[in-house]
Amino acid sequence: MKVVLAAAHRYPDLARLWFRFVARDLLPALRSAGAEVEVVLFRDTTPEGFEPRSFPGATLLAPSFEALDAVEFHEAALERPGDVLFLLDPGVFVLDGEWVASLLGYFEDPTVAAVSLLPRAGPAGAFALLARRDVYRTLKAPVLAPSFEALERWPHAIYRQPGERAAMALRARGKKVVDGPPGASGRLADFSGATAIRIARELWGGLLGPRFETLLAERPDLAAGAYENLLLGALFRAVFGTPYAVSRGPMPFAGPGDDAHLSGSATPEELRTALAAIRDRKALQRLVAAFEGSNRALTRLAEREGLTRGALHLPPVLPRARILRARVRAAAKRLVRRN
Amino acid sequence: MADAPVLVLTEGELRRNETFGRRTVNRGAVLLDCTWDGGVFESGVMVGGLFRSGTFLGGVFCGGVWLGGTWRGGAWERGFGPDGKYHPRTVHP
Repeated sequence: MKVVLAAAHRYPDLARLWFRFVARDLLPALRSAGAEVEVVLFRDTTPEGFEPRSFPGATLLAPSFEALDAVEFHEAALERPGDVLFLLDPGVFVLDGEWVASLLGYFEDPTVAAVSLLPRAGPAGAFALLARRDVYRTLKAPVLAPSFEALERWPHAIYRQPGERAAMALRARGKKVVDGPPGASGRLADFSGATAIRIARELWGGLLGPRFETLLAERPDLAAGAYENLLLGALFRAVFGTPYAVSRGPMPFAGPGDDAHLSGSATPEELRTALAAIRDRKALQRLVAAFEGSNRALTRLAEREGLTRGALHLPPVLPRARILRARVRAAAKRLVRRN
Repeated sequence: MADAPVLVLTEGELRRNETFGRRTVNRGAVLLDCTWDGGVFESGVMVGGLFRSGTFLGGVFCGGVWLGGTWRGGAWERGFGPDGKYHPRTVHP
């Protein structure tokens, strides 16, 4: 069986960290299971930033007429010869390659068209999809692209995320798309919010100036992404010894000697200020819960590197006194309910 | 004689979930999930939302739906056409 692992990366630093886990934890396991594996990396927007020596054995592609962006790259990847196309989002790290390799067993059932390693029920579910190539290629192109339906009902039009229409069409033909197989917990680390905030900062953060910081307090998805980058940045620095998520544009408030680490996402100071500005207690609690999930994922990544969390020197960003008060309140409520 | 704009959006402004009509000009604001209906988009960024009508002269269009209007210039990062289909980077309507 041939597996084509295809991933589109916009940021070379995240790609470098991601590939380190792929090369160490995923590829050997797939090969041990008897699979031939090809890794294809699409270097979205800045191909020159990707050093080939950081991606040994991978085929590095750049935007071209065949694939202008990441969505078109996924489409083009279906054309590469192979049995299974493994689409993996840039923020999804594989910790247990043997588990992923075991999922290939699903394809012994000829009715199984795909296995989505992460449940895709949410509005922006991350791609970690093993797709049976010949079945997907029977669908009308574009197969995997997102789309809108019922635009006349705007703003209540229906958004179909990447791969959703394909899954619907295949199910309608009696094929199975396994959504979130059992045992995924702890075997993948999902930092899929990390790229979105970097794109936002790159494309329009500069136009907003300091307003971007206040937006972090209003948009939990951006705050969660900023926190993911803070964690990934700490790991990246510990592993590679260089800054992570450095702003591509000029930094208006930075002096010549200032550290550019995380300036292309949100610096710890910016995130700390934003979190302190959140007045909605429940919103903050939801964010803290998301942060705790990311913390657990980071701990697992660090363990694979033989590092402890202490070695990562994570900067504190949460308003500790408010979090402590919230926890005491929650504990008191539980106690009252019990009595 | 054309009507003078009554609303000029400028750099540093962020607008969310609003609708802008034909007498609006964008000169640098960021619009998140807004509806643009008839004005002139000179610069700035439209993130998500719906471009119903008007003229896009410059700026960035990212992830929204292009229902109608005139594209004269700017950067198409990604988005969707009037049929709901995906248009990749640079392939503006």
